[in-house]
Amino acid sequence: MKKGEIVLGAFCVAFFSFMFYEAVKLHGVGRFGEVGSGFWPMLSLGIALLLSLCWLIVTIVTFSRAKGRAVEEPSKETIAAAWSRRKKVALSILSIIIYIVIMPWVGFILSTLLFIPAFALALEERRKMVLIISPFLITAITILVFAKFITIPFPKGAGIFAAFSRLFY
Amino acid sequence: MFEHYWNAFATVLLPQNILAIGLGGLWGLLAGALPGISTSMGVVLLLSFTYTLSPMTAFSMLVAAYCGGITGGSITSILFGIPGEPSSVPTVIEGHALAKQGHAAFALWTFLLCSIFGGIFSVLVMMAATPLIANFALKFGPPEFFALTILGLSVVSGLSGGSLLKGFLSCSFGLFLATIGTDGITGGERFTFDTMILLGGINFVTAMVGLLAVSEILIEAEEPFKEYKGHVGYRGMRAEMPKFSLFRKNWFNLIRSPIIGTIVGALPGAGATIASFLAYGEAARTSKEPEKFGHGAIDGLMASESANNASTGGSMTILLSLGLPGSNTTAMMIAAFMIHGMQPGPLLLSTHPEIVYGIFVAMLLSNLFLLVLTIMGIRLFLELNRLPYSVFSAAIIILCVIGAFGLQNSVDDLFVMFAFGLIGYVMRKFGIPVAPAILALVLGDMAELALRRSLLLSLGDPMILVSRPISVILLAAAVFSIVYPLFKKPKMLQGL
Repeated sequence: MKKGEIVLGAFCVAFFSFMFYEAVKLHGVGRFGEVGSGFWPMLSLGIALLLSLCWLIVTIVTFSRAKGRAVEEPSKETIAAAWSRRKKVALSILSIIIYIVIMPWVGFILSTLLFIPAFALALEERRKMVLIISPFLITAITILVFAKFITIPFPKGAGIFAAFSRLFY
Repeated sequence: MFEHYWNAFATVLLPQNILAIGLGGLWGLLAGALPGISTSMGVVLLLSFTYTLSPMTAFSMLVAAYCGGITGGSITSILFGIPGEPSSVPTVIEGHALAKQGHAAFALWTFLLCSIFGGIFSVLVMMAATPLIANFALKFGPPEFFALTILGLSVVSGLSGGSLLKGFLSCSFGLFLATIGTDGITGGERFTFDTMILLGGINFVTAMVGLLAVSEILIEAEEPFKEYKGHVGYRGMRAEMPKFSLFRKNWFNLIRSPIIGTIVGALPGAGATIASFLAYGEAARTSKEPEKFGHGAIDGLMASESANNASTGGSMTILLSLGLPGSNTTAMMIAAFMIHGMQPGPLLLSTHPEIVYGIFVAMLLSNLFLLVLTIMGIRLFLELNRLPYSVFSAAIIILCVIGAFGLQNSVDDLFVMFAFGLIGYVMRKFGIPVAPAILALVLGDMAELALRRSLLLSLGDPMILVSRPISVILLAAAVFSIVYPLFKKPKMLQGL
């Protein structure tokens, strides 16, 4: 994890430096004698930059100290388990992003009906009954409570999907 | 005064008012528990039903919905880790951690009893000391507000877990996030990069749902497959009922937190969020087991919940006595007063004393009703834990989507929520606490505006911040709150 921490620390330093540069550009925006738009962002980003630099330095120092010590090679099972974990997270993230992206096009109902089994499969759910029944049940309850009762105007989709959504809300 | 209270009790106990309290409380509980509807939205939706009701019945219903909304938000916070309001963040941290350990019913019992205690405490304070609190609240100008927000931010040390460095890094990231969007004073754009999506700033509810709930689901996705949630074998409500000794042990925390809640709730614009975080931070600072904070500390849950609900009384005090809204929900209440031909403020007590005292009594009864209603409702919510784990997680994501979408009915918010879900996931993976970022996002804007307004008042002289007694006391408390943990636990600085 230390390598990852160094990468994240370096990213934070670069990100906050860039934003600090942007904040400097804001300095002076405002009426004469006022604290300008850039003051507070410069203050918060200055602190963030300083803290991320501290974090990066301490992590590098710790990492270089630990480098000399002999480290046990992870077993094949450990590596395989780590890959399986990453795959599950990646698939979960992918199903969420697809759900959000397609929702305005196919509407809330259809995207939710597709999302539930996709997300459950990403979490290694294999029970057929769960995969078949739960999407319909959860979507029906959601539409009933949030679209019918509370009247949240969920996306209806475009074209034929909009016509389908209008059948329900 | 006693005559007024006697009359108010007699009026509120009429069957139609009792029914209004029951229905309003039930609606408030649902609105608070369901993502996508905030407490203020719950009150607004109810407003149209009260047009034809008598003023006392209408206000009985509205205050019950207000108290119910604040209470209901914590149910989903504990069971699903989805905070309905920013003030529920400490509840998510501690309550959801307890639920994950299999003590959902225990966490729910404790939250409920502390919430109701906090609510009743603040109503009793409100009944006795409305003019006193109102006078105190009037002393708060921009410098005092700035000092208060800094005091609110100082609880970061209590939210940082093992590493103060990471806690403060998270906090400064949140402060930066709060500056994105349109500048509240000059109207200029900041960090929007010419995009419409960032023009209105980052909504803290969207960010909060992403940072806490979505990231939690992604973290849990790493675990090996399980048929049901790990804590499906929870013990029943009766078996998990907290013992009296727990409350006796935490008596000081239980007195201090509602006092913080009532006072801070009475400050216009401050509301439940600062109250809940301040009480939580105090509990973390004075706890005998500070290492438990973040991992299911019951004293943290007790503090935040009692302060959270106590803020309702404070908000109503300032509304009734000065006509100032202490929170979004009480701002909606002003509309209710106007609909019924009244103007909240100093004259209300002399022109409509029956309404003012009636509201006090209705709030008291609402809290008692909520105790019964929530116990019945909790059983139903606990049954949701019996859902298959994969479906449960999918349902949580859908609730998060509804919560984020329902704010402005915009798909853009879903992308913001998702982005914060990823940021929260990375932060958690590297041991960076997310709570300080949320706290700073909520308070950052308030702190900046208060500071700039103070400097405008003083023509740029920063000494205004330390020239008033209240702000000096609050700033000193903030410095103490930040410095104290460094001396008490210097290892926290090294805790990388």
